[in-house]
Amino acid sequence: MEEIQNKIRREVVQLLSEGQVDVVIGFEQGSLPLRATPFFLRDIADANRLVWSPFCENNLATYLTKIQGKRVGLIAKGCDVRSVVALLVEKQIHRDHIVIIGVPCQGMVDRRRIEREVDGEILKAHQEGEEIIVEGRDFRKSLPRKEYIYPSCKRCEHRNPLIYDTLIGEKLVEEAERAYHEVEAFEKLSPDKRWSHFSEETSRCIRCYACRQACPMCYCAECFVDSSFPKWIEKGLDPSDVQFWNIVRAYHQTGRCVGCGACERACPMEIDLVYLTQKINRDVKELFGFEAGLDLDPPPPLSTYRVDDEQEFIK
Amino acid sequence: MTFIGNNAASNSHESLRNPYLPFPMRVERTFVETSDRMLKSFDLAFVDKVDEAAFRFRPGQFCEVSLFGKGEAPLGIASSPTEKPLLKFTVNRAGVVTRALHHLEEGDEVGIRGPLGNSYPVDRFQGKNVVIIGGGFAFTTLRSLVVFMLDHENRKKFKEITVIYGARAPGLLLYKEELAQWEKREDVNLYVTVDKGDEGWNGREGFVPTVVEEVGPSSENAYAVICGPPIMIKFTFPKLADLAFPRERIYTALERRMKCGMGKCGRCNIGPLYVCKDGPVFSYAQLEELPKDY
Amino acid sequence: MKKLPKEKVKPFVEKLLQDYEVLGPMETAGFASFGRIMSPGELKLNYQNSKKTPKEAFFPQWEVMFRYRSTGQSVEVKSAEDTGRRRILFGIRPCDIRAALLLDLVFDSLDFKDPYYINKRKGTIVVGLGCNHPASTCFCTSVNGGPFSREGADFFMTDLGDGYLVEVLSQKGRKLLRGFDGKEASEEDKERAKAIADSATRGISSVIEADGLMEKLEKLTEAPFWDFLHEKCLGCGICTYLCPTCHCFDMADEAFDLKGQRVRCWDSCLFPLFTLETSGHNPRPTGRERIRQRIMHKFNYFFYTHKAIACVGCGRCIIHCPVNLDIRRVIDDIHRE
Repeated sequence: MEEIQNKIRREVVQLLSEGQVDVVIGFEQGSLPLRATPFFLRDIADANRLVWSPFCENNLATYLTKIQGKRVGLIAKGCDVRSVVALLVEKQIHRDHIVIIGVPCQGMVDRRRIEREVDGEILKAHQEGEEIIVEGRDFRKSLPRKEYIYPSCKRCEHRNPLIYDTLIGEKLVEEAERAYHEVEAFEKLSPDKRWSHFSEETSRCIRCYACRQACPMCYCAECFVDSSFPKWIEKGLDPSDVQFWNIVRAYHQTGRCVGCGACERACPMEIDLVYLTQKINRDVKELFGFEAGLDLDPPPPLSTYRVDDEQEFIK
Repeated sequence: MTFIGNNAASNSHESLRNPYLPFPMRVERTFVETSDRMLKSFDLAFVDKVDEAAFRFRPGQFCEVSLFGKGEAPLGIASSPTEKPLLKFTVNRAGVVTRALHHLEEGDEVGIRGPLGNSYPVDRFQGKNVVIIGGGFAFTTLRSLVVFMLDHENRKKFKEITVIYGARAPGLLLYKEELAQWEKREDVNLYVTVDKGDEGWNGREGFVPTVVEEVGPSSENAYAVICGPPIMIKFTFPKLADLAFPRERIYTALERRMKCGMGKCGRCNIGPLYVCKDGPVFSYAQLEELPKDY
Repeated sequence: MKKLPKEKVKPFVEKLLQDYEVLGPMETAGFASFGRIMSPGELKLNYQNSKKTPKEAFFPQWEVMFRYRSTGQSVEVKSAEDTGRRRILFGIRPCDIRAALLLDLVFDSLDFKDPYYINKRKGTIVVGLGCNHPASTCFCTSVNGGPFSREGADFFMTDLGDGYLVEVLSQKGRKLLRGFDGKEASEEDKERAKAIADSATRGISSVIEADGLMEKLEKLTEAPFWDFLHEKCLGCGICTYLCPTCHCFDMADEAFDLKGQRVRCWDSCLFPLFTLETSGHNPRPTGRERIRQRIMHKFNYFFYTHKAIACVGCGRCIIHCPVNLDIRRVIDDIHRE
């Protein structure tokens, strides 16, 4: 880790001093245990603030559509790079404005799961080999890193960045869990159980839109929830509105979601709707043989038409 | 409109008048002001005598006008208190509520909350010369101010009154009847201008800032009030500065996305001041102290 | 002062439930939230700060203001104010009580009274619960609060381990002693409570420098500082919605054919739509202006109007920010500017 971190710093210093980029987006040490925080680096004197750790959980590609007009160096995990590819395919960013510093990713640590493993507040955390050590007022606990990475990381099939300008560190062996097991498990439930799961999860939604804001693909200039003319949805917490929001948000990702898990990580209410995006991802794969963020060439299936497209659904 | 309020008697604490509940007013007259039909005036009459008696306002104040099912829009009161019992609102067709308001017919009812906000400092204007500069459809509360000052009871309280009003085209001038009446009066200097005239127009042509320069109203013992599109204000303000109007004696009225109208909902503030409650009328000296959040 | 042994809490709360609607900390989906409890077993009193705040008791995220019904050209309007509800906020932390006192300044101001808030607030008895183990993110003592501050409580409890030390602080609080089956607290209990409070207060490890902050911000309104502060902010509403003092709201009509309702719901200064005008003009067009608004409102504008900082140091915005944008660091940076 430390070696990777040092390489990242050296690479970034070079990029900035050669004037190849205006800003580098990476991570610095967070203010809380188990956290790193996005860092916009402009001055090479600050390069030693850059960190690389199992706590770099944010998808930094989300900033690319917000920081237009600048040449950006992006420190990018496998999923961040998939988002970059998806944004390039949708022509939201320019490839020559971005320098991708790819970093193979071993998975990011699920801080909430770790917090639930201990009684009391975690005051310190660090990695020691393959263990995450957490310490509190009257405890110290060691947890195997691999078991505590985010579910989306466990499913990840592309830990190695697919495209990059520089790759930091060695490529990893891809070892994903079965890709769609959450939606498969969900499909086995009775309709009543599915409905109650969905309505219970969404009942916690406070409509803070953190899921939307964290998602690199949610870049619409005006989100449908914000439109007043026409008005598609009320602003309150009526279950029908909250459910409508969550469904449409997921479905607008059809053929676009890279499965990075940023929406789930951002959600303060820990709402589990991953099976929704998984379902659409699986459908798109089965119907069109397409997975978002893997390839720069084919247009996304929902923005193009081919005569041999699957048409079962309109019969 | 019938109002069934809560039964306060069951409460242990004192009952409160609910400032969020609109009261009813009926549309007495509608009038299309401009040739592009984007601006329409509505004269409203109080349905309830109690509401009428309680409604005391001054030029520059606004109301939240409700169309149930659509929402509320903050609209400056275009009529003068001297014209009571009717209230006039001039509505630019722009958003959800104002589009729907344009469909109102005589006899329809709307909900009103207000009067809200501060007002033009008419007390401070007493014994002074007053220069009123307006552009486009921002002339609504200026109409209220002019009619108020020209009222026969009030006129003597003010010295010279100068009104400079401009629109892009003759058809886009508001309140043409009043303008014609003011034109005839000796006790008001009226300068109406349009950016570009048409065949029927034999009046002045030119932008408001230029006319201000030409007219050159004296800043001595004088106040100025200026309302209009940002671009007009941007170029007129230096002209007033050239005429030596100090910032404390130039007033403007701001527009914001005001919702509650009472300084609670939090969106219309500029620095620590709420446009809905501490405004909408501010002096330039005040604005200078505030963050440039507008 | 009385003492309520732990085994007597259940019958005490049961008695309260007979006469009052009781809202308290409970566990939902693995985290503490405030909600209406139907039985004492639902209470989870050994919580650190709840995720959602008890401000919802007075200022719910979404509420109906009035209902209307069209009848020809006229409209019938019926207010939906809450009245006559008898409620207890049970086990609320001192920081959240202070937040309610700050919200009182807004909703119960001299010029305009907000009946929706006031009716709920006045009908509620506040049972405070001292904070034995403040979190590392808590900085209440920097903003005129404290883990055992009694300010604003009608009734206050200190967890002594085997029971609660109970103090009645107002006439409203006294009503709760009916049906109270505790004994007088011993001198030892009182001393223990004091020791717990002292230790908790000493245990607050986070600090913000509130002195001079208002003046400092006054000079910083147009500083380049804001150009960079907002960069990593995602622009979501978490910090505002989980903040116990944020109170911005929107009003909207929900129409169903000829009848409908006007509702109000929380809104956030971090959303672009918050200030977007019909013309398309937005006075706060980017994250720069929006995050400045949030910081300035809490630490400057609110102080200007109400002579208090609109932050109680509960740390929720620190814990729950998805990008770890930490208000403590922001304040440090402001002082360094």
